[in-house]
Amino acid sequence: MITQEKYRSKAKKLLADGSVKMVIGYSPGSTADRRRPLFVRSFEEADQLVLDSNCIANLSGYLVTEGLLSDEKRVAIFLRPEGIRSLNILAAESQLNVDQIIIFGFDSIGREVSSLSGEHAGEFSELISSIKENPPEKSSEPLLYQIEQMNPQERFAFWKEEFSRCIKCYACRQSCPMCYCRRCIVDSNQPQWVNTSSHTLGNFEWNIVRAFHLAGRCVGCGNCDRSCPVNIPLRLINARMAAEVLESFDHFAGMSTTQEPVLASFKKEDSETFIL
Amino acid sequence: MTRILFSDKLDNCVTRWQSAGFSVIGPVTKDTFSSYAAVEHASDFDLGIVLPDRSLKELFFPQTEPMLRYTIKQQAINTEDFTPPSGKRLIFGVRPCDAAGLSIDDPLFGWDYKDEYWFQRRNDSVIVTIACTKSDDFCLCTSLKLAPDTTNGSDILLRPLENNKGWQVEELTDRGREAFLTIAEFLQEGSEPAAPMAVVPEMFDLDTCVAWLQNPENFESKFWKDISMRCIGCGSCTYLCPTCHCFDIQDEGDTYSGIRRKNWDSCSFALFTMHTSGHNPRSTQSARWRQRIMHKFNYFPGKFSVNSCSGCGRCSRQCPVDMGITETLQKISTLHS
Repeated sequence: MITQEKYRSKAKKLLADGSVKMVIGYSPGSTADRRRPLFVRSFEEADQLVLDSNCIANLSGYLVTEGLLSDEKRVAIFLRPEGIRSLNILAAESQLNVDQIIIFGFDSIGREVSSLSGEHAGEFSELISSIKENPPEKSSEPLLYQIEQMNPQERFAFWKEEFSRCIKCYACRQSCPMCYCRRCIVDSNQPQWVNTSSHTLGNFEWNIVRAFHLAGRCVGCGNCDRSCPVNIPLRLINARMAAEVLESFDHFAGMSTTQEPVLASFKKEDSETFIL
Repeated sequence: MTRILFSDKLDNCVTRWQSAGFSVIGPVTKDTFSSYAAVEHASDFDLGIVLPDRSLKELFFPQTEPMLRYTIKQQAINTEDFTPPSGKRLIFGVRPCDAAGLSIDDPLFGWDYKDEYWFQRRNDSVIVTIACTKSDDFCLCTSLKLAPDTTNGSDILLRPLENNKGWQVEELTDRGREAFLTIAEFLQEGSEPAAPMAVVPEMFDLDTCVAWLQNPENFESKFWKDISMRCIGCGSCTYLCPTCHCFDIQDEGDTYSGIRRKNWDSCSFALFTMHTSGHNPRSTQSARWRQRIMHKFNYFPGKFSVNSCSGCGRCSRQCPVDMGITETLQKISTLHS
């Protein structure tokens, strides 16, 4: 509650003195434990902002809404550490001018919410480094461990079963802050690179395309996983890809606003174990 | 006295239906996810859930369906039609909103062209609905002037007994009567009272909403932008909806051979209305959300005299950003038309 009040007053102050044109945060949702994205544009509306441990969604994807930042005015946004990392990537990939963004940083342990110190992207580098150095215990994701113990055939069977439920609603893509392409490759139909059908092949095509496009870019916010209406454990795919790029290139996504994209940059000392 | 189907006889019924040539389908939960799926035994049913995550629609209008195969050789073009699959099905434990969804889409699929794929499956299927004795925060059938024991689209309606040991049987159609004739020996006459229906509160006044939607001045209302600002434009509401029926025809293959398929499509997607020229008449997400609401509560009823929503609530229940028909219509009902 203290953090919520602190940020509410800050939102009011920034809106009142014109420092920001909008605050992107959370409001109560349709059930007691749901929170929904809220776009606050006036002093009065700021009282609708809530901040508690149920505020989970990474809102940073809204920052690249067409036209939102084109007037060069500033926007404040509630972000967890993963959200700050995805903001860094959006800046590194030239999708926004990070100077226009005021961060209302927060994190939670259990039901306790605390604020993060700093309000500009560059001020969180120590925090992000410490997250890199202290990865979550393997036991926190038993299913991932289980899948890694499988042989390729078993793994294929596992994902075939999971993807068989995919309906290609693209909620995973739409909820992902990294999926900002104006026209996704699967929507490109001249030529039709990827089948639109959600049969086995089409579902594999989509999910593999998604996995590769997010390698070294996914911050593990879990938006895709939570938004999947058919409960495919998408976070596991991304977690695996993140582990690969960390191991091969020591790349931890979203370290800074100037970090080079791992699959679009080259260093002489890069591991070349994949070249036969 | 009413005819009663006791739960302990259900497995006998399933076996009997199967030997009478029916594929028996019902709500099934696998891991954390539920849908209507084929079962072997009555114990495979999950009849305790409010409703399956996925709707009944996909058993009649699958997410992808082959229509024809083509081969082109020298001058000859050969096509081979995929005929709609046939085979008797008995779908047990359907929720009234899902069954009503079928009856909503019947006139659509039979309007200017009779969709063989839909009607073949409709004619082959017996819908055995169980009235709802429980609901959740997202159920909204009563707001749509339907009820937890609506019979639209059903061949049989079962009312759960108060003692939870079975169901009162109401036969609604000849198709239902015929299917239940095969299990007549497992039914008993009884006087067990039915359990009270789920109490589903009315969330909005539908007539007020429809009047507002029908007023042309509201088409450009600022309301649409405000309500849909957080919409991320995924298609989960439309794909889980028991009545959303839009599809796309796609040829998969190359110049010489391939398959033409009918795939689900969604008005939530920008690509849905994209013209070849690059112009998009529904260029913003708010225009797309407006279309969805207008279609369901203005255009569709204008053509077929029924709303294209049966109140299952899946759109709100599963929305990644907590939107949905309920919130939108609730807000509309407070606006002055």
